[in-house]
Amino acid sequence: MNCTPARESFTELLDQRTAATAHLDARTHLAHCPDCQREFSSLSQTLAALDAMPTPAPTPRLRQNFYALLEEEKNSAASLQLSVARERRTRRRSILGWILSPIAAVALLVFGFLVGQKSAPAPMAPTSEVTAMRNEIKDLRTQMGKMTTVVAYSMLQQQQQGPANDRLREVLAAAKAEHPNDTTLGELVSALNFDPSVNVRLRALESLYQHSDRDVVRAGVLTAMPREQNPLVQLEMIDFVAAAHDANAAPVLKQLAQNETLELSVRDAARAALAQL
Amino acid sequence: MLAVRDGELDALGELFERHHGPLFGFLVKHTGDRMAAEDVAQTVFQRMLKYRHTYRDDGSFTAWMYHLARRCASDHFRKRNAAPHATDPAHLNEHADEAPHAAHHATVRDDHALLHNALAQLDRDDREVLLLARFQELSFAEIAGILECSVGAAKVRAHRALRELRDVYFRLQQERSA
Repeated sequence: MNCTPARESFTELLDQRTAATAHLDARTHLAHCPDCQREFSSLSQTLAALDAMPTPAPTPRLRQNFYALLEEEKNSAASLQLSVARERRTRRRSILGWILSPIAAVALLVFGFLVGQKSAPAPMAPTSEVTAMRNEIKDLRTQMGKMTTVVAYSMLQQQQQGPANDRLREVLAAAKAEHPNDTTLGELVSALNFDPSVNVRLRALESLYQHSDRDVVRAGVLTAMPREQNPLVQLEMIDFVAAAHDANAAPVLKQLAQNETLELSVRDAARAALAQL
Repeated sequence: MLAVRDGELDALGELFERHHGPLFGFLVKHTGDRMAAEDVAQTVFQRMLKYRHTYRDDGSFTAWMYHLARRCASDHFRKRNAAPHATDPAHLNEHADEAPHAAHHATVRDDHALLHNALAQLDRDDREVLLLARFQELSFAEIAGILECSVGAAKVRAHRALRELRDVYFRLQQERSA
C-alpha cells in the first residue's frame, strides 16, 4: 500500500471506536513511512486539542424555557383530546338518533292510525266552502314563500353594499363578546363566507380562532375554504384548520393542494397542513 | 421518541435531560456564540414537539435530533447573515489577522482560544461534519444520513475538514510564537 490509500484510512484510524485489527494494510504502511507518520501525528495532535476544548454548560434558561414549552404543548394536547372525545360523543349521539328516530316515527304513526281508526267519524265529502278555503291558504303560502326570498335577497344586497368599515365594526363587536352564542358565531361565519371585503373576512376568521373547538365554527370555516379566492385568507384558513387539528378538513385540504390554479404558497401550506393532520 | 410521538409528551423531558448537554456543546462550537446556541437548542426541542408525528422508527433518535439541529443552525446562520449587526469591538480580535500585533497575541495566547479561532475559520459544512464525527458519538452511517450523502463522502468530508483545521490551527500557532 502506498501513501494515498493509507491516508484515506486516517479518519478511521484516528477514531477511537475503530477496532485495532481494522485497516491492517494502512497500519503497516504507517509503521514504515516517516511522511505518513508526520501527517498522522499532526492530525492526531489537532484532534487531541479539539477533544481538550472545554464545553460550556447551558444556562438554566434553556431548561426553564423547554419545560414551559412542554407544559404549553401538553395543555393544548389535552384540550385537543377533550375536543375529540366531545366530538365522538356527539357522533355517537347522532348515530343513535339516526337509528332511534325512524323507529319512533313509525311507532307514532301506527299509534296515530289505530287511535284515528277508532275515534274518527265517518269521512265526509269536503264542501265547496272548505275547498275554497284550502285553495286560499295554499295561495297565501306561495306568496309568503316568494316574499321571504325577496326580503332575504334584498337584505344580502344591502349588507354587501354597505361600507366595509361598518361591517368591520360589526365583526369587531361580535368578536368582543366573551361568551358568544350561536347567533354571534353564525354572524362571524357568515361574514367569513359572504363578505366581499378581504379585511372583514380576515378579521372574522381571526375572531373565530378562539372558538375553534366549536363544531359549528369548524364547519363554517370548512364551507368557506373552497369558495375563497384570496390567497391571504386561504392561508389563514389553512392555518386555522391545522391548528384546530380538524380531521374533517383533509378532503378540502387535498383539493386545495392539488388545485394548480391556486398560488404555490397556498398549495404548499395545504400540503403541510395535511401532513400535520 | 416513539412514546412522545404516541402522545406521552412527558417522555420528551427524559430525552431533553439526556441530550441537551451534548446538543448545546455541538451548537456552541458550531455557532461560536453561547446565546445563539441556546436559542437554536430551544428551537430544536420546539421542532421535535411540533413534528413529533413525523418521527419514524427507522434510525437513531440522536441522528434525527442532529438532523433537526443542522436545519435550525442553518436558519440561524441565514438570519444572522441577513440581519445587519453592529460589530462588538471586543470580538474583533477573534478574527484571524495576517499581521501579528499586540491585541492578536493577547487573544490567542490560550490554546483553546486558538483552536476556537481555527474552528471559526473553517467552512461551515467542514466544521459541522468535524463536530458531528468527533463529539456526538455518531457512526459515519448516521452522519451520512444527517448530511444526506454517502458514507464514503461523509468520511472524505470529515478527513478534509480535519486537515483544514490542522492547517489553520498550526498556522495560528506559528503566528503566535513568531
